[in-house]
Amino acid sequence: IISGAIYQEQARHRFQLELEFVQCLANPNYLNFLAQRGYLREKPFVNYLKYLLYWKEPEYAKFLKYPHCLHMLELLQYEHFRKELVNAQCTKFIDEQQILHWQHYSRKRTRLQQALVEQQQQHQPQAPSHGNTTSK
Amino acid sequence: MLMRFISHACALRKRGQTVMAAAEKPTKGKLLAALDDIEVLSRELIEMLALSRTQKLPQPGEDTEILELLVQRDKEFQELMQTAVEQGKVHQEMQALEKEVEKRDSDIQQLQKQLKEAEHILATAVYQAKEKLKYIEKARKGSISSEELIKYAHRISASNAVCAPLNWVPGDPRRPYPTDLEMRSGILGNMSNMSTNGVNGHLPGDALAAGRLPDILTPQYPWQSADVSMGILPPHHGSDFGLEPPGHNKENEDDVEAMSTDSSSSSSDSD
Repeated sequence: IISGAIYQEQARHRFQLELEFVQCLANPNYLNFLAQRGYLREKPFVNYLKYLLYWKEPEYAKFLKYPHCLHMLELLQYEHFRKELVNAQCTKFIDEQQILHWQHYSRKRTRLQQALVEQQQQHQPQAPSHGNTTSK
Repeated sequence: MLMRFISHACALRKRGQTVMAAAEKPTKGKLLAALDDIEVLSRELIEMLALSRTQKLPQPGEDTEILELLVQRDKEFQELMQTAVEQGKVHQEMQALEKEVEKRDSDIQQLQKQLKEAEHILATAVYQAKEKLKYIEKARKGSISSEELIKYAHRISASNAVCAPLNWVPGDPRRPYPTDLEMRSGILGNMSNMSTNGVNGHLPGDALAAGRLPDILTPQYPWQSADVSMGILPPHHGSDFGLEPPGHNKENEDDVEAMSTDSSSSSSDSD
């Protein structure tokens, strides 16, 4: 029989652990590591991944700093995906795509700023010296 | 001789009647038969009267016989006419009632149609109302204050977790996921030595040997801590994950098919 306080303490500790672990799933290299060591083939591990889906609920999701992990978690529910992760080329591809996606908004912002600069340069062709100061 | 013919004809008809005793002879038939008899008898009488002018009656009393038969037939005929009239009245009543029945039938069918239509409309309305309630419940469940959303958005953006830093170039170690350095510095990393081969090309011994990562004093990164004073706990679970959890497994192969088409060496046929 565990007293209420001890149970709470253990539960809090477990919360921290699971918070860390679920976010580690955002790292494709870590996924490759897990796959190559056969963890993704073990039934208890697969059940654990399904249990971790509770992090999708808003009251838990607000603690996640790396939300990419939720997408990875969803994909990990599929056996096909788990099988593919053994392949290092596959996880490298995922890594590349993930980083490109990560840069998407930055690129978009840069493009918008460039477009803005060009527009202003068109409006003020007589004052080229001011054109450079608009870029932040 | 003629009398014998007449009585013979009557006997035949009566026999015919007994043969058809099961089916009642229609009144029309009876009337026509009676008329035939009267016709025959009256013709005979007239012939006899015509003959009696020139010659004597072959059989005395035959004329009275014929007369009696004639009167009898006439009486029969009158009775039959009366019956016919009554039957006609009854028939008319029957027809009126039939019309009435038809009208009632069509009324009932009309009501039936309307009832069916009303039932259909009500069923649709109830179904749509239920759907609406379902969506209302769903929306209510998922409602989050905008302030909280903005706070969260700020948190994940400011740390460059979902949007790359503007000055990022290839070679920058920052990533949209926890790097192995960060992973090892948390509770998980300190609990057990999970990597023996090294992840991302780093061996665990390197960092330690270089003195850059003292185990105990590593700082905790923000992604590893949560404000647990809010009292949130993970959902309860049995300690044994070896047991099959309730619910179905998502073995939907089709969804994930598209992902692996670009990885060249992976085999496309499943085991």
